[in-house]
Amino acid sequence: MPDPLQRVRSVGSSDRLEPSDTELLHRMQLREEQGLELLYARYGGLVFTLALRIVGDRELAREVLQDTFIRCWDGSESFDAGRGRVPWWLMGIARNRAVDLLRSRPHQARLREREQLAAGASEAAQPDATDARAMRHAVINALQGLPGAQRQAIELAYYGGLSQTEIARELDTPLGTIKSRTREAMDRLRVLLWPLIEPQGEASDGRD
Amino acid sequence: MTEEREHPIENLAAHALGALEASERMHIDDHVAACATCASLLEQYRAVAGTLPLGLDPVPPPVEAWAAIRAEAARRRPLRAERVGTTRRPGWRRVTWPVLTALAASLLAWNVVLQFELTHRPPGPEVEALARRPGRLVILAGTGAPGASGRLLVAIDGHHGHLATAGLTPLGTERTYQLWFVRPDAPPASGGTFRVDTHGRAWATVTVPISLDEARLIGVTEEPAPGSAELTGKYVLEAKTWR
Repeated sequence: MPDPLQRVRSVGSSDRLEPSDTELLHRMQLREEQGLELLYARYGGLVFTLALRIVGDRELAREVLQDTFIRCWDGSESFDAGRGRVPWWLMGIARNRAVDLLRSRPHQARLREREQLAAGASEAAQPDATDARAMRHAVINALQGLPGAQRQAIELAYYGGLSQTEIARELDTPLGTIKSRTREAMDRLRVLLWPLIEPQGEASDGRD
Repeated sequence: MTEEREHPIENLAAHALGALEASERMHIDDHVAACATCASLLEQYRAVAGTLPLGLDPVPPPVEAWAAIRAEAARRRPLRAERVGTTRRPGWRRVTWPVLTALAASLLAWNVVLQFELTHRPPGPEVEALARRPGRLVILAGTGAPGASGRLLVAIDGHHGHLATAGLTPLGTERTYQLWFVRPDAPPASGGTFRVDTHGRAWATVTVPISLDEARLIGVTEEPAPGSAELTGKYVLEAKTWR
């Protein structure tokens, strides 16, 4: 099968011809496989990257990837545009599934895998589209602008699948401090990233 | 009472990151369902959380992944058609019409009850979304109370749900009903506690602490208030299969 990522990039040379994400979901509700294929082409890489970052194992990450898109295929009508955009919804499904898997494994093994992955992840980097690259830089810059302790709290929660209580225990830090760090970090990210996401983000890429 | 106490702002960001314990999540979900201010802030946090993966070095998925997804999607397509009755299979022939009629009548009655409950809830994004498109449905049957039943509606994110029950015995203040998710080789995980009204009915926002696909049994027990860390009571409602 041709690489779906490659196919969409060639289509993407004329952005106005690209169907929006919500249009793809609509096609999926009509059981049109092409809707699923294009959505996968658009976000399969990101879902896999997220899953791999969380579970630290390519086989498990592939399981999360497949499960995410099958759930999307089965439940595309459950997407609620009033609660956000399609990629956030997809990432939420993927992240929850990955954390479910993560929590079924010994904690120490999880930490080891995360360390191994952090050491080797950059080797697999691939080029991506211009818009995504710009957004990626914005996210990276925003994260790098956080104090280390705040960034750590965010990463342990989102990628580590740990609750606030577990993070406090892991870092031997008062729970109230962890809550404050998390909120302050997310507020800073929100101030920096929200203007890029909404409403300009929708207007510029036209995907939702 | 301060603004901080009225609105659970301190926990909204953690909720968007999926970093709250089950009881905290339930508290937030209850509040957000009726608070437009916190619902809006939570959605902004969720949007930010949704962009975090963009900060990772992209890793291409295995080339065989798409083939597996396409094959599974194709396999499920005829199954879905069958569910809405456009395709017949031999199994249907063994089901008699009276059973089908009774099932249809009970579903109709349930939908009427559900819509009634929805219209009597405070407006909020959770309830509105649920009213439009429920995700997965778990039907719980009474095991301890004759005529008791329940419906667990799980949102598409797999972690939030609403539980509606009928026919359960009202309890005193020292006891409570508790929802459990049971999987093999692990202690039952609590989805939260709830109380029923004088008619034995309840409508509660609950947490789904594990994937439904991993659960082998979902049940409700009677436990000491305010809820047990471990399952101690007998099941009054339970489900062993769901779609």
